[in-house]
Amino acid sequence: MGVPAAHVPTVAGERPSRFSKLLRPFAFMSMPTAVLVLLFLVPMGILVYFSFQYGDLTGQSGFTFSNFSDILSDPLYREIALTTFEIATIAMIAQLIVGIPLAYVLAYKAGRFELPLLLALVLADELNPMVRIYAWRMLLGREGLINEALTSIGLIDAPIDALLFNKFSVIVVLSTSYLTYTVIPIYASMKAVDAGLFEAARDMGAGWFTTFRRVLLPLIAPGIFIALLLVYVPLFTDFAAPTLVGGTTGYMLGNVVSDLVLENGNLNAGAAMSFLMLLAAALFSLVAYQLSRVKQGGK
Amino acid sequence: MPLSRRIQRALPNALSIALTGLVLLILFGPVLLLALFSFNDSTVISLPWEGFTTRWYSEALNDDGAMTAIGNSVMVASIVTLASLVLGTLASWGLTRIPFRGRPLVAGVHGAVLVVPWLIIGVSGLIFFSQIEMSLSLQTIILMHIVVTFPLVVAVVSAGLIRFNPSLEEAAIDMGASQLQMMRYIVLPQIAPSLAAAAIFAFAWSFNNFEISFFTGGFEQTFPVWVYGVLRHSSNLPVVNAASTVIAFAQVLLVFGLWYGMRLMTKRRGGTDRDAAELVTGAVR
Repeated sequence: MGVPAAHVPTVAGERPSRFSKLLRPFAFMSMPTAVLVLLFLVPMGILVYFSFQYGDLTGQSGFTFSNFSDILSDPLYREIALTTFEIATIAMIAQLIVGIPLAYVLAYKAGRFELPLLLALVLADELNPMVRIYAWRMLLGREGLINEALTSIGLIDAPIDALLFNKFSVIVVLSTSYLTYTVIPIYASMKAVDAGLFEAARDMGAGWFTTFRRVLLPLIAPGIFIALLLVYVPLFTDFAAPTLVGGTTGYMLGNVVSDLVLENGNLNAGAAMSFLMLLAAALFSLVAYQLSRVKQGGK
Repeated sequence: MPLSRRIQRALPNALSIALTGLVLLILFGPVLLLALFSFNDSTVISLPWEGFTTRWYSEALNDDGAMTAIGNSVMVASIVTLASLVLGTLASWGLTRIPFRGRPLVAGVHGAVLVVPWLIIGVSGLIFFSQIEMSLSLQTIILMHIVVTFPLVVAVVSAGLIRFNPSLEEAAIDMGASQLQMMRYIVLPQIAPSLAAAAIFAFAWSFNNFEISFFTGGFEQTFPVWVYGVLRHSSNLPVVNAASTVIAFAQVLLVFGLWYGMRLMTKRRGGTDRDAAELVTGAVR
């Protein structure tokens, strides 16, 4: 064709010299990578190191597994772990029960309201979580607005105490805090589904439930796994909501870490607890991530 | 059409509207009530309505704790947003356009930061700073915020870069543009909406971040840490109402303003609302 081969652009531009081959990645990646190493990997490493150390008041320190064995053998921690699991799981299921239909409405039914609703969801996430927790406390409390309203119209005689400072209020607050991150990945995976499939399913005699279970659900499974990744893991570690609306029955693992580190000043035990939670989170994330890829056909 | 058929047809629509309405009510109702009661002339937040007042707002203005915390948060979030945009844009270019050894690993670390819970990042930061004997302050908050926020910028901007065909960049270079001109006239206009979206998210992530600020702030308080402290001791609640309302209102304005700007930017180059929405949802994906 008369064009010298050297001038044919390759994917990476013209064939780079050895110098620029090293220099360009360095120019772009050195700073971000340095930040990640220095402020993420190193602190994480120190956290793991600390979780295998003991230190007592006499200044002695050394290697130990006791931080872990103490945590794992303590029945109180086991109970708190169970409570945490229960609260996080119920909150997650509640969000999926609301989130999947809501994503469906957004993707296929909302029409010209689709974008405003999407924006509303994003906005709900941008609102300060502390403000939201406070707002719920104001609503659910003994002298809260719900109780006041119900008493004043005579529906109840005495205020209901069961609304605040228990598992229920923690679940309500957590579910509303993370709903955006549940709905949007599912919505995004639904947008990629051809709506003609539903018609085809209906023409072939499938009812709505069969269509949902056999057609839609397998196709949006990757979105659901991403929602689990983004929401279920942080639900396990939340501690602001349980502290402020959980009372004594809504005490979660996040509170344990916070109390160990800040109230007791026991960095080693706090580090060990954090490390265990990190391991659980990593394991869960890996499984959810792999599942989300398998369902996409291994892309 | 027989009535039963008509109901059957209308039912899903009615259900859709009911569901959407309910969700909006649950998400925004409490915050709207909070705003409403910030104007109630009573020291306790409850019915009956005692009359309209703006005194909680003037009290909030004179509350040192509230004003310092808000000021701190605005400053921290601004610095974190700027730093994250710079670091994030550099990294997204490197990760999407420059092949180098170990790229999957580096990309993996960027992604890993996003799934590690902030509580654990906060604890690791606390231990880290105590080990290098750096006392906890706004500076340590800013450092830890940057490391969790800039990978989000990477996610948003990379999504924009992947969608955009690199052959345009090669064409520009072939026609004699310098690297800098190519960046300025080809790449920047294309990723500007992504950068705007990233800025919204970065600012909000830093401003709303409670866990990391709580663990790495020492005696310095950001807005969420201040609210947490006040709520824990249940004092001065109407002032929290007023301050929270102002913050919520500012956040609404900020989101709408940037959204509007993004729409303008995408529209001007022939994009649609859908493209702008893609950017927003792309970030969460």
